[in-house]
Amino acid sequence: MNNNQFPTSRGALRKLLLVLAVVAGVLLYAYGWRVTDISLDETQDQTRQTSVTRALRELLSPNVFDQDRDSEFADAYFAIGCPDDGEPIPQPERAEGEPYIEISPDCGERDDAVTVTGHHFHANADAFVRWIPPNGQSRPMVRTDVDANGYFQTTISVPSLRGGGDEFHTIEVEGSWPVGLPHLSKTTETVIEKMVETIFLALMATTLAVPIAFVLSFFAARNLMRQVRMPAGDVLIAFILLPIGWALGDLLVGPIGELGVDWGKDLVLGIVGPAIAMVAYGGIARAAATAGLQEGTVGHRARKIGLNVLLVAVIIFTLGAVGGIGIWIGDKLEDTLLSDLGNFVNTLGTLVDLSISVAAALAGALLVSSVGTSLVRGGLRYFEGPADHIVGAVLGVASGTLLMAMMAVIANQAAWFGLLPLLVVVILAMQDLGLIYNRLTGAGHRDEANTHATLRLALQVAVAVVAFYFAYRFLDSGRLIVDGRLPSALKTEIGPFSVKTYTFRAMLMGAVLGGIGGWLLGIHRNFPLGMTVYNTTRTILNALRSIEPLIMGIVFVIWVGIGPFAGVLALMLHSIAALGKLYSEQVENIDPGPSEAVQATGATRLQMIAYGVVPQIVPPYIAFTMYRWDINVRMSTIIGFVGGGGIGFLLQQQINLLRYREAGVAVLAIAIVVSVLDFASASIRERMI
Amino acid sequence: MLKIEHLTKVYENGVVALRDISFEVPDGQFVVVIGLSGSGKSTLLRCINRLIDPTEGRIIWNGIDITAANDEELRLIRRRIGMIFQQFNLVKRSKVITNVLAGRLGYTNPMWSLINRFSPHDRQMALAKLERVGIREKAFTRADELSGGQQQRVGIARALMQDPELMLADEPVASLDPATSHSVMKYLELLNKEDGITILCSLHFLSLARAYADRIIALKDGLLEFDGDPADIDEQRFKDIYGEDAVRVEIA
Ligand SMILES: Nc1ncnc2c1ncn2[C@@H]1O[C@H](COP(=O)(O)OP(=O)(O)O)[C@@H](O)[C@H]1O
Ligand SMILES: [Mg+2]
Repeated sequence: MNNNQFPTSRGALRKLLLVLAVVAGVLLYAYGWRVTDISLDETQDQTRQTSVTRALRELLSPNVFDQDRDSEFADAYFAIGCPDDGEPIPQPERAEGEPYIEISPDCGERDDAVTVTGHHFHANADAFVRWIPPNGQSRPMVRTDVDANGYFQTTISVPSLRGGGDEFHTIEVEGSWPVGLPHLSKTTETVIEKMVETIFLALMATTLAVPIAFVLSFFAARNLMRQVRMPAGDVLIAFILLPIGWALGDLLVGPIGELGVDWGKDLVLGIVGPAIAMVAYGGIARAAATAGLQEGTVGHRARKIGLNVLLVAVIIFTLGAVGGIGIWIGDKLEDTLLSDLGNFVNTLGTLVDLSISVAAALAGALLVSSVGTSLVRGGLRYFEGPADHIVGAVLGVASGTLLMAMMAVIANQAAWFGLLPLLVVVILAMQDLGLIYNRLTGAGHRDEANTHATLRLALQVAVAVVAFYFAYRFLDSGRLIVDGRLPSALKTEIGPFSVKTYTFRAMLMGAVLGGIGGWLLGIHRNFPLGMTVYNTTRTILNALRSIEPLIMGIVFVIWVGIGPFAGVLALMLHSIAALGKLYSEQVENIDPGPSEAVQATGATRLQMIAYGVVPQIVPPYIAFTMYRWDINVRMSTIIGFVGGGGIGFLLQQQINLLRYREAGVAVLAIAIVVSVLDFASASIRERMI
Repeated sequence: MLKIEHLTKVYENGVVALRDISFEVPDGQFVVVIGLSGSGKSTLLRCINRLIDPTEGRIIWNGIDITAANDEELRLIRRRIGMIFQQFNLVKRSKVITNVLAGRLGYTNPMWSLINRFSPHDRQMALAKLERVGIREKAFTRADELSGGQQQRVGIARALMQDPELMLADEPVASLDPATSHSVMKYLELLNKEDGITILCSLHFLSLARAYADRIIALKDGLLEFDGDPADIDEQRFKDIYGEDAVRVEIA
């Protein structure tokens, strides 16, 4: 019995839920109807209908072509207020073979109808009737068609005009007809020029985004990054060494790069200098190679490090020299036929000049960090038992302090970046709690009970809330997030140093949380470095992707001014995010076999990517790049609406001026270009895949 | 000398693929690993060059603990261990010679190799290895234009570029027809006999194993079921390894 009843009550419940769902859906929809102002009255409004008809009609007759016109004129005189004597108004003389017009009546009051008849006009011409009062301010009355015999008739009404006394008004008719062949209109020429700008805008944005997205896509590919794990101690040391290396690179290698730029501006020095440097490096490397050191020995390692440092210096120097040469070439080509090329090379050179010290610092950071880690790594091995954890805690304190200092610096840039330190504190606290939980309960193995995972997560969430609350108070974050102000400028003295209290407190929290984590983790446990990088990259890409290019355009217009450059930057940034995601999905879809085989030969990770991954992703990358260019052309047609240059800017101006025929040309051009590109990119994609 | 000590592998999903496996392989031996599909053959081979990290146990090779090696040390170890695969694992869109040269990456300057710069010596070597496996004339064709047997020979040439002391072969002939299977196995035998390369090869078929192995190791559900002379596998042992219902299939 029970068995029978159960399904029916279940069914009734389901029906009830369904009805409720439908009702809720309808209500929701009605709300949507209201907030979007859907109203049929507006669509039926008479004046609106006329204007939309007019706008559409003009849009659909784009002013693509123009034709030169000839014209002829004929006049007649009209008196406002008929003379008392009833005499006819004297009319201009008619010449033989010339067109003339007759009006009837030849006098009257305003709003009277006047019939205008034309004779001997150019066959099939357009006749424009104008009213010219005595003050000479002509006003157009009507346009009519002349028939094949040169005759037309039309009616106008006397306009209301003040003054004039008893002087006559003139009714003028201009007969106008096209001569010669139709040619492209001025509007069309402008539109074509802007369209070229638009296409190049899209091309620049795409090509500049591709290499960056290419590199990022590997960091955003789960299958590659998952393998990247490192003992926690190595990671922490690498992290601590980064800023030291940055400073060293900036201090020592930066000047070498700038020297390179200076020499490059001299051309001869710029070529000779790097050449000598490279030859010298080659000589040293060869000499060092003959030393025949055993792999793995101290000497071998020292040689490798020394050569790497030299190589970085040589590369930075050469890079600087190349930039300098670019500037030199640009200067020489100025005012010649190749000035465009010169400008391009010059800009590249200047870009190198501007970024060389950053490049040097970055190279220094990476070099010091990797060399330092590999040097210390051997030593770290000997810390066993409690020492493992003590060293871990020390490194954890240092890295936590450093990390939070970085976050605090970011938070000092804009108030809402103040969320970042809070977020990091929450994450660190959750991780620490996870480690504590595992330590106390002995959980954390692959085969741990499900209850552990649930309980741990619940505790982590609780700790996250507490940590957030505490950090919010401790860092006085209300000031940033509620009031929208930057952190207070108050300082705290620590010994000889004086730092912002905000930064100091952030560092303090980092030290505590990092220390706990480092203690519990020790230095030998594997840290999922790759997944950390993966998650960070993905988050940034997703955040960027969710910002519309138009909004980015607004920001860039503020930065670099109205014009196509702002559009290039906006579309580039968005393309990096979009392509980065699409590319990385392709990396995730590769056949793992070949790259695994390459890895098994003892290749480095970079070699594995170059030989095992890249050949597999070339076709989809090309396809997606085409696709993105296609999208960028569409986007660049409207990025002008916010000042980003290209045809959109023109289109917006014309729409604002109600010049719909001109706007029609732009719309037509966009339609043509987009569909041609659509077709082209589709067929190329088809061939590639 | 390769020494496997108490090797255990538990996958993330809880599957126990290897349970406490221990054995030793002296240099120069041709060892064939047999067992039903899912018995853990691939897992065993891939633990040796750490394509998979074992859960417990150690693998000692020439006195070095592979399981404890860091990234850099692992790279140096891997360069002396060649590996060939059932699916050949060639980069299909690349030329044969590029695939073969990839075997030399462990010895090349990472920076140069990124812009495809191999030394003339390496290129010469690649052609010589292709010559050795009899497909020198295919050097500049795309890898996916080759037949299965030819692709596997490219795989062997790639492994030879490493100057391997040990060769892992994971069901190298499972995707090939019987005749081609024998030709590929013959190449492995040649490497073993002429170059003294130790070979650890997993195979499906006992008949094939018997024809080439100095020694057979049988796995069953991750356990070491048999370790010994090929001739010692009698009817009963066969049934132990492959199950009661198994019938011998001969490959000519
Ligand atoms: N990546 C993996 N994740 C989880 N389980 C796996 C994975 N690879 C293999 N296994 C499982 O491990 C066991 C052994 O697999 P494998 O070593 O591939 O056997 P064989 O090569 O002998 O066919 C099988 O049960 C298989 O399902
Ligand atoms: Mg297998």
